[in-house]
Amino acid sequence: MSGKLSPGIIVILTLLAAFILAAAGADLLAHNDPLRQSLLMRLRPPGTFTATTSYPLGTDDLGRDLLARILYGARASLMVATLSVSVSLVVGTVVGLLAGWFRGWIEIVSMRLVDSVLSIPAILLAILTVAVLGPGFLTLVLVLGLTRWPRYTRVAYAQTLQVVTLPYIRAAEMAGCGPVRILLRHVLPNIAGPLIVVATSEFGLMILFEAGLSFLGLGVQPPYPSWGSIMAAGRQYVQRAWWLTVFPGVALFVLVLCVNLFGDWLRDSLDPRSLSR
Amino acid sequence: MIRHFAGRVGQAIVATSGVLTIVFFIMRLSGDPTLLLVPEGASAQQIAELRHALGFDRPLLVQYVAYLSDLAHLDLGQSVVQRASVAGIVAERIPYTMMLAAGALLVALGIGIPAGIVMAVWRGSIMERALAGFVLTGQSLPTFWSGILLILLFGVALGWLPSSGADSLQSLVMPSIALGALTMSTFARMTRIAVLDELSRDYVMAARARGLSLRTAVLRHVLRNASIPVVTIAALEVGNLLAGAVIVETVFAWPGIGQLAIQSIAARDFLVVQAIVLFVSTVYIGMNLLADIAYAVIDPRIRLER
Amino acid sequence: MRLLVLLFLVSMAVPAGAQPKEALTVDMPGDVATMDPHLQWDTESYTVYRNIFDNLVTRDGGGKIVPQVATGWRYSDETTIVFDLRTDIRFQDGSKLTPDDVAFSIRRIINPAFKSPQLSQFDQITSADVTGPAQVTLHTKTAYPVLMAQLVKLSIVPKAYVEKVGDQKFNQEPLGSGPYRLRTWQRGVQSVLDSVDNYWRGKLPFRTVTFRAVPDGPTRIADLRTGRADITRGLSPDDAESVKADKSLRLLPVATERVAYLFINTLATPTRDKRIRQAIAMAIDRDTIMASLQQGYARPVNIVLTPANFGYVADVPGWPYDPDGARALIKEAGAEGAVLSFITSPSYDRRLNEAVQQMLGDVGLKVDISVTDQPTFLRRRQGTPEDAGSLSQGRWSCACQDADGVIFPLFRSGSIWSKMNNPAFDVEVDAARIVLDPATRLEHYRRAFQVLREEVPGIGLFQDYAIYLARKELKWTPTANEAFFIMDMQWQP
Repeated sequence: MSGKLSPGIIVILTLLAAFILAAAGADLLAHNDPLRQSLLMRLRPPGTFTATTSYPLGTDDLGRDLLARILYGARASLMVATLSVSVSLVVGTVVGLLAGWFRGWIEIVSMRLVDSVLSIPAILLAILTVAVLGPGFLTLVLVLGLTRWPRYTRVAYAQTLQVVTLPYIRAAEMAGCGPVRILLRHVLPNIAGPLIVVATSEFGLMILFEAGLSFLGLGVQPPYPSWGSIMAAGRQYVQRAWWLTVFPGVALFVLVLCVNLFGDWLRDSLDPRSLSR
Repeated sequence: MIRHFAGRVGQAIVATSGVLTIVFFIMRLSGDPTLLLVPEGASAQQIAELRHALGFDRPLLVQYVAYLSDLAHLDLGQSVVQRASVAGIVAERIPYTMMLAAGALLVALGIGIPAGIVMAVWRGSIMERALAGFVLTGQSLPTFWSGILLILLFGVALGWLPSSGADSLQSLVMPSIALGALTMSTFARMTRIAVLDELSRDYVMAARARGLSLRTAVLRHVLRNASIPVVTIAALEVGNLLAGAVIVETVFAWPGIGQLAIQSIAARDFLVVQAIVLFVSTVYIGMNLLADIAYAVIDPRIRLER
Repeated sequence: MRLLVLLFLVSMAVPAGAQPKEALTVDMPGDVATMDPHLQWDTESYTVYRNIFDNLVTRDGGGKIVPQVATGWRYSDETTIVFDLRTDIRFQDGSKLTPDDVAFSIRRIINPAFKSPQLSQFDQITSADVTGPAQVTLHTKTAYPVLMAQLVKLSIVPKAYVEKVGDQKFNQEPLGSGPYRLRTWQRGVQSVLDSVDNYWRGKLPFRTVTFRAVPDGPTRIADLRTGRADITRGLSPDDAESVKADKSLRLLPVATERVAYLFINTLATPTRDKRIRQAIAMAIDRDTIMASLQQGYARPVNIVLTPANFGYVADVPGWPYDPDGARALIKEAGAEGAVLSFITSPSYDRRLNEAVQQMLGDVGLKVDISVTDQPTFLRRRQGTPEDAGSLSQGRWSCACQDADGVIFPLFRSGSIWSKMNNPAFDVEVDAARIVLDPATRLEHYRRAFQVLREEVPGIGLFQDYAIYLARKELKWTPTANEAFFIMDMQWQP
């Protein structure tokens, strides 16, 4: 890797770390329970103080602390994105590796499958599946994971095709190494780079998808917070209680921004010929 | 080459049928719309009678076969909620979504491509940095959020543009911007990479060595060659635009098929949803095919095998 | 020439407000589903088509059933009702409205082959026949006291036109005898109606009415503020509070026949213990709910019925708000920490669900809320007692303003909604629906509500409001059955 750690990338990495810590440590950081309602404290502005506690970012339409909900909402965004990207990455890479190594009918079937899945309008399928199987964390991860894997397969397949022509792979084959060992030990490390690049750009996209689906009411269900559903609920009060739209939106925007910038930096580091910067 | 594309078309039909079948069964597995249609106090028997009258008590396979045979006669069925022809209902809404997609594409191309070119040609300058930031913003903004903020700013605070509805050309402005932002950044990036790639090629070096200005080189040769990957991306992005339209139509109350899809899914109006899926899949696949054709035809250097 | 100038100056001098308003714009939360009044009956659809069609009878401002197409009616026996009809009504194509059309309309909606979703509201009617030049006779299966209330919802359609164009086209291009005629309908966007000349009931307030579909609440309000729309419905209590200060607008809240209630399962789950149900009744702070969640747009009820419904009795007491008493009962039942399942869908106010969850948590009952989509929720709620969860929220209106349409389907054993098996209750509500005398019916309902009070299969939370918003020049009084008759509106600048 030849990336230099400029001050810019350090800032981004710090921010990303902050998000992850906030999500992981939400229990400690939030001094209010994100699920605790207080019907008398509905729609209070940021900086509201009471005798017992404070609401630095204000409250929502059920009197729940917005800061606490945003911290816990970070969990939803990060976990859904991480898990769905992991699922797609694993499934996609496996299919691509197998197609690129074995060729023949495995290759044909895989590529047809890839084209078919790519031609499914993902968001409609997501909406349908979620609306029918019932919204929920697991359904969301599955739907997002299973509609995005072809993007990894294409890269894995193309890269595998290149790598298998390398001399030392041939040598390993002739030495009697089984295909699994070769794929895992020798091919995979070589194709990891581009795959990671895809994964990081997909990560940002999955965060946006989760927010969008939660916004439509099909993602993380109440009362558990998700940035998208906080903003959906806040739409009704967009003029009176602007904080319900602004703060979660800023959090979402900054997170995705950092993820995208990190992805760009990673791409540059892994491939000096890359023209993205 | 013809055989190759015939194969692709055949594959496309298979893919669409697969999608339709999946959607057909998924929707029906969780119940039918009868419960949503009857008044509150209807009894179990009255519900059963309506269910029978509407045909939802038939075995799933029977319903599936009936649907397929209707499709074969080009009959998309009747909406159980609106009691009108599905084809008519969907056809009325498609133009709105098409307009929205066109508007977004215009925004994306109109801003993205020039931005990409400028970023490539003036690489390393402040302008490039600024544009890069702008493009990055477009890529990171959640569509629904930018939509809401746009409405707040231009619709409510300034009052320049209508905050919802589809009355006039002005109502198209904000939804197009919200929808086009992500695609704009994709185009900007692709254009930048394509132009940079072209700029580094030998023929450009040679032309410049002969004394051709950078500007002329760009206008005459580079753009033409760089347009190849961009054109193919454009075809694929239409699919993404249709997907994003679902959210934009919800935020802006734009009466297109995205909004119709969500309403129909909630109302369990199966046939409308299926017709929309059919339409969207066809557009997706059509665009993929178009991209393939453009890719292969425009640049005969490209090999057909992947 | 000078005359023209004079006229011009005079017309300038006349204040702008004195010009009659020609066009009314209504913002609705959604679009019409069907224009055929015998098909869908959702609020958006009937808001529009009840201005295109006349009904046999209607309700006046006070809620009393009064003649419209029918001039009068009498019971010749318990199951036979004779209606006398007006002879001066014309459909919008000029043809006369005859008893044939009335009989046809009734037969059409009760015909199973027509598959009307409204069938269940009219299926007590067995036949409708023309029995005179201006007379129609109806027969019902048994004595049916709610008949007139149901007929308020039956629109008269033109037999000849419907038979000529067929049901599909009639749905697109309806023809009625009402004050307004459909000019255009852009699905999903708006419908435009024009006033009919020489309408038989009198002068019409506007020439054109446009009903626009605007799903977003804040956008509807913004439209009213800017004058793009003149009236809208479906405001939430929070929306209402935010426009109170605007002097150019007027809020029109009305208490409706809709009752917000909490369903409690008496046959399965921990709530089958009566003590737990009674404890739940004592744990709910209805006053705070009405004040904070409904912002005061609610009226207290002690039973699962509103005063706008026939059968309402004010002297059956509710349960007091007594959290300590609730805790004691729960302790007695050994149910501290019991887990109750609350099933619901996005169609119900989630804030109310979560408020109930919290109130019950405060007395020691753990509530798990499970949200599914509406059809799945309905299937569970209407399924076996084990499927239906312990609790759920409901907002019930039968659109009939009668107890028979509310507590009969909700609590009578055997009904899909009911998770209660109480013979004493069944006897009373069964009797109340086949006797015509109001006083007798009221006695039956009184006894029925006493059973409900003891058994607590449900708790009445409040009488719900419908909140409309209009420009201050629009004079209109909304009614409890949420009727939207343009004829009743007036523009007074």
